[in-house]
Amino acid sequence: MSSLFANYQPATGTYDELFDAASAPRANVRAVLDALGASAPADFARSQALAEMAMLTQGITFSVYADSRGTEKVFPFDLVPRIVAAADWAHLERGLAQRVAAIGHFLDDVYSAQRCFQDGVIPAELVLGAKQYLPMLRGIAPPGGVRVHIAGIDLIRDSDGTFRVLEDNVRTPSGVSYVVENRLATKRIFPRLFERAAIHRVDHYPAQLAETLRAAAPQGGDAATVVVLTPGPFNSAYFEHSFLARQMGVELVEASDLFVERDRVFLRTTLGPRPVDVIYRRTDEAFLDPEVFRPDSMLGVPGLMRAWRAGHVTLANAPGNGVADDKAVYPFIPDLIRYYLGEDALLAQVPTYVCLREADRAYVVDHLHELVVKAVDESGGYGMLMGPQATREERDEFRHRILADPRKYIAQPRVELSTCPTWCAETQRMEPRRVDLRPYILTTRAGSWVLPGGLTRVALVPGSYVVNSSQGGGSKDTWVQKERA
Amino acid sequence: MVIVSGEEAAFAARHGDGGEDVGHLVEQHLTWETSNLSSIRRTVTAARENARSIREVISLEVWEAINELYLWLGSDDAHDAYITTRYAFYKRIRSGVRLVAGLLRSTMLHEAPLNFIWLGMLLERGGQTARVLDVHHHVLTERERTHEVAEAALWLAVLRACSGMEPFLKRRHGAITGDAVTAFLLFDVAFPQSVIYCVREARRRFAVIRPPGEPDLPGFATMTRLSMLDGWITSSAPTRAAANVHAYCTHVVQELQAICAGLGAELFGYAPVVVAESPQ
Repeated sequence: MSSLFANYQPATGTYDELFDAASAPRANVRAVLDALGASAPADFARSQALAEMAMLTQGITFSVYADSRGTEKVFPFDLVPRIVAAADWAHLERGLAQRVAAIGHFLDDVYSAQRCFQDGVIPAELVLGAKQYLPMLRGIAPPGGVRVHIAGIDLIRDSDGTFRVLEDNVRTPSGVSYVVENRLATKRIFPRLFERAAIHRVDHYPAQLAETLRAAAPQGGDAATVVVLTPGPFNSAYFEHSFLARQMGVELVEASDLFVERDRVFLRTTLGPRPVDVIYRRTDEAFLDPEVFRPDSMLGVPGLMRAWRAGHVTLANAPGNGVADDKAVYPFIPDLIRYYLGEDALLAQVPTYVCLREADRAYVVDHLHELVVKAVDESGGYGMLMGPQATREERDEFRHRILADPRKYIAQPRVELSTCPTWCAETQRMEPRRVDLRPYILTTRAGSWVLPGGLTRVALVPGSYVVNSSQGGGSKDTWVQKERA
Repeated sequence: MVIVSGEEAAFAARHGDGGEDVGHLVEQHLTWETSNLSSIRRTVTAARENARSIREVISLEVWEAINELYLWLGSDDAHDAYITTRYAFYKRIRSGVRLVAGLLRSTMLHEAPLNFIWLGMLLERGGQTARVLDVHHHVLTERERTHEVAEAALWLAVLRACSGMEPFLKRRHGAITGDAVTAFLLFDVAFPQSVIYCVREARRRFAVIRPPGEPDLPGFATMTRLSMLDGWITSSAPTRAAANVHAYCTHVVQELQAICAGLGAELFGYAPVVVAESPQ
């Protein structure tokens, strides 16, 4: 093995994405690692610094709400790619499309006849009790017929190498801008490596997204006006909102740029109002329309939901999708796939205890030291207890919280997330760090398309399982290998 | 310089008269002082924040040039340059700003967003020329007269502050007088920093953004006000302006402030706070 990876040791009891348990490169990545590993550590450190400088000067940043000192941070980027074999990807692609299709059917059902409750597939009280279930939307069919135009499904890989779904994001999944920017940075720094490796491209995502959004227009057609709706520059994902608008060549707007008249949405321009057909909204639905949701919202567009209900504007994603993101709904997704599609789920999940169920709750409160507890309606690593690492006081606090509001919590055994070699600036060598993967799925009436890549997030702190950007995580370029001819 | 930037009271409150160290303190105040809204540090930070919030409107090249200037200004390298080679420090900032202006022109569609950017630059530039002229004209005409060579040097310094020395010398073939410099900075239609050029060009750009004959489109009141200012300047005889430069410049500065506030209110739904100020 070459100098860069010469002493690399995968962590015991975990699956490493690039090396086997005997510290040998996996067969499908050997050629890439030979080329990448040929650099001396000092050269690689220089390349890594170059990539970080590029991210800084290009302003590829995100904001951390919990950080009161500053608003912007560069998303740490590790140059060693995570590589997914073609066969693994083919399986994921099918499984992701299947999952998104089932979630779409589930949302249609929940906001119409609610057959799934009558047929006993999922408890009604669990769904109707979800904070993100919006009863006022029942009976409204979304213009264009699609509810989940853009999905981000979080995957992890367990100790035997099986990909498992960790959670679903069908409201406003973020991160895809880093996928495209990470690839650009890697290509600039290792141009020759790319010439030799047969890797799927990811830079066409914005074009695919634009096509997906135009296809969703109530009237359809290439002439549809699409806009990206952002809460503004102080939002944590503002860079991404701006990036996507720029890459699609559409307007980035704030709520004050839009108004509704006779149930139609218009964009204010200096040359007068311009009708809007599709809004890729990156605002929470609570802030979409003060007439329907939060009346105190300064971010909303009064009358927007009337226009949506009248079928004059498409909102991507559809309001109300949050009920499918609820972590207490997640354990039922395989049943929902079987119910709506008549198929077994292709993707595995993580075994989950739903604290609303008495037996599950009793088990959870007795086994907090070995479980990961999550609030059903939070994300970004917030509202979470890592039982094995928590103190007794922290576990006691969560026990009280669970007993006080069981609907709000689920628990899962801690999965030994897979690792990937990651450059450690302190030790100047490659070390294993835990990773997850968020692929992106775009859906039209014609079906789903999965971006061959995705956001690999990496826990940069040794031993950490938390990959969230808000809590010290970074990212990697994800290489999906092409089938050999 | 402190008066031109509207910082007289703030500077006096912080430093008194500055004593022997006044030059150093003025530079410090105008370069680094974060409580000074018009210090270089604050304006570059604000420009970068504005650019970030319209990142999808400007080109990648423009964004990178602004961001790099911002990052450099916050770096140890910039602070070292300020201490050791001040000329190089300011030159780099000037070059950075001109790079941005050039990239705007060469990498963006010449449509409404670019016209908005030029409109803002022209309104600010016209006001700044009027301020510089007003303050210096007052100082230079009130002081005891000195040798004409020394007088010429002082007027050349005014021209340099407006990047107008060489254009003026070309125009006047080296004949430097206070009246000539005043007329040049106010009325030379070919000089891009002159008040008349800035106002006229601002009006033209604004007319492209929103046609002037459309009272129902947003910005009609501001368009009318800008047209009136343009007409007023165009019809002014240089002799009338020269008779009372202070009153003339004050009118220009106040009108431009009102036009900027009108743009904010009519097109962006807010009005920037206008601090009443006398340029002198």
